[in-house]
Amino acid sequence: MAGSIPGSDLAEGAAGLARPAAAPARAQRWKGLRRAARARLAPLGAAVVMLAVLIALAAPLVAPYDPLAQNLGNTLASPGRQHLLGTDNVGRDVLSRVIWGTRVSLLAGLVSVALAMLAGSLLGLVAGHCGGRVDGLVMRVMDAVLSFPPLVLALALGAVLGAGLTGVLLALGVVYTPTFARLMRGQVLSIAARDYVDAARALGASGWRVAARHVVPNAINPIIVQASLSVAFAILAEASLSFLGLGIQPPQASWGSMINAGRGYLQQAPWIVFGPGAALFATVVGLNFVGDAVRDALDPRTRD
Amino acid sequence: MGRLVLRRLGATVPVLLLVTAGVFLLLHLTPGDPIDVMMAESVDATVKENLRRELGLDRPLYLQYAAWMGRLLQGDLGRSIRNGEPVIENVSRRLRPSLELAVYAMTISLVVAFPVGIVSAIRRNTAIDRAGATFALVGICVPNFLLALLLIFMFGVTLRWLPISGYTDPLEEPWNGLRSLALPAITLGLALAAVVTRTLRSSLLEALAEDYVRTARAKGLSEWRVIWSHVLKNALIPVVTVLGLQLGTLIGGAVITEYVFALPGVGRLVVDAVFARDYPLVQGVVLLIAIGFILSNLVVDVLYGWIDPRIRSR
Repeated sequence: MAGSIPGSDLAEGAAGLARPAAAPARAQRWKGLRRAARARLAPLGAAVVMLAVLIALAAPLVAPYDPLAQNLGNTLASPGRQHLLGTDNVGRDVLSRVIWGTRVSLLAGLVSVALAMLAGSLLGLVAGHCGGRVDGLVMRVMDAVLSFPPLVLALALGAVLGAGLTGVLLALGVVYTPTFARLMRGQVLSIAARDYVDAARALGASGWRVAARHVVPNAINPIIVQASLSVAFAILAEASLSFLGLGIQPPQASWGSMINAGRGYLQQAPWIVFGPGAALFATVVGLNFVGDAVRDALDPRTRD
Repeated sequence: MGRLVLRRLGATVPVLLLVTAGVFLLLHLTPGDPIDVMMAESVDATVKENLRRELGLDRPLYLQYAAWMGRLLQGDLGRSIRNGEPVIENVSRRLRPSLELAVYAMTISLVVAFPVGIVSAIRRNTAIDRAGATFALVGICVPNFLLALLLIFMFGVTLRWLPISGYTDPLEEPWNGLRSLALPAITLGLALAAVVTRTLRSSLLEALAEDYVRTARAKGLSEWRVIWSHVLKNALIPVVTVLGLQLGTLIGGAVITEYVFALPGVGRLVVDAVFARDYPLVQGVVLLIAIGFILSNLVVDVLYGWIDPRIRSR
């Protein structure tokens, strides 16, 4: 690389002189701008997520129609005053179905990540704390789980666990577990080497007491960051699986299955696809903004 | 270099063993009797009994696993229940469309990501950069089944430029083949392009702040020359890493893309097998995909060591 420039020694020589002044100033300005952009996006993301949560909680109150009520006299009606997002092929109100679908999506995102966070943290804690063979075995199993493309693994697991929301939640929980296990194990190993852990040991605290009182509370931040970033992915994954036909079964509404059902009517009634599609997109973008903000707040590496 | 390859291969063996065990146990995770799940109730009891014996489900678990592994090592992945053909044949027939899709999508993503990433980095904080960042965000947050339907809506249904489903063999009819794969490849390629654009932009910015860049500029090199011969190579390493990390997502994306566009690829085979409850086929295909995934990760690792000599010694 350097060899291609005649006089590259000059670069080495000049480096020492200029570095302190210019580079940090530029980097500083850049970081400042990024932070400003994020500061604007985080509240927006939070607002979107809050709205989604409220809609999910109040679904029965805010949905204008019964999401399952068919009206064969008014199928594929375009969006209008009666039906804000139109109706689908059996005359069900798309908006009401999108609203009820919010419940499924948020539930899937939160529950599967919570499962993965619990299982992963516990496995990582055991692996890091026990070390030796236990560590080796647990982490190889985690490696094996990571050897499957996530969607393929979720699909296979979902298939054997049976179609339905529970199967998908468990499948996604398994898929996301290794990330948390690896994180927790790394944290445990680095924290166990610190002085206050030695001090606690010296005071006679038992191994598991040290783990519970000293290691876990100090290891929790990166776990929370990872969890907040994972929820968006889990929601996308649930939507993908229910698009393929796993997950909550018709006639119950889920964004993914609505989009799949609307596929055949793309020409006559694109709103069947684009209503839930827009809801899914907005939620995921909002969660991404929130996740970035949580990371900026809790992860010292991205902080200045 | 050879040692790096050997070490990585050695680390892969125990993981591969666990992967086979996992795939084997998959069948036993079914709530209830797998045979009853696979076949309708009306199917004759003796047929079920024969299948049970053929799959070895009447024997203890460890014997079943040993037998299954023994056959596996001889290259026998079992037979599909549906068409009775060996899993290997089912997969090999489906392999080419998937590989063509992957190469096509990869090409599209690089063709899009490199110009957008480079221009975003050079014209930082301008409207162009913000447009690039928005593109990347949208590309990452739009699930690809939605993107696929948007593309079908625009180019297939409204403009009628491209076919919206089915597969034409590009080796037999090159032009129609490329057209039949165009929308799937764009679907898969854009999501990847979004990730690559983001990574390339930030790694370019990092490289642009280095001292050798100032030196190159001070020599009077044009900005393009600076980027092309000094910055780009150094900025490529994170891009390769990210491409490696994206492999899993890419394979998952291919499954959905093939499903939406009715491409007869391996991904479509998985989905069909799952919904036909053809468990031997599911097991075989998932195992092959996992092995392919592990091997491609191995290639990425080695590639990484090749680009960055510092990795080799670690």
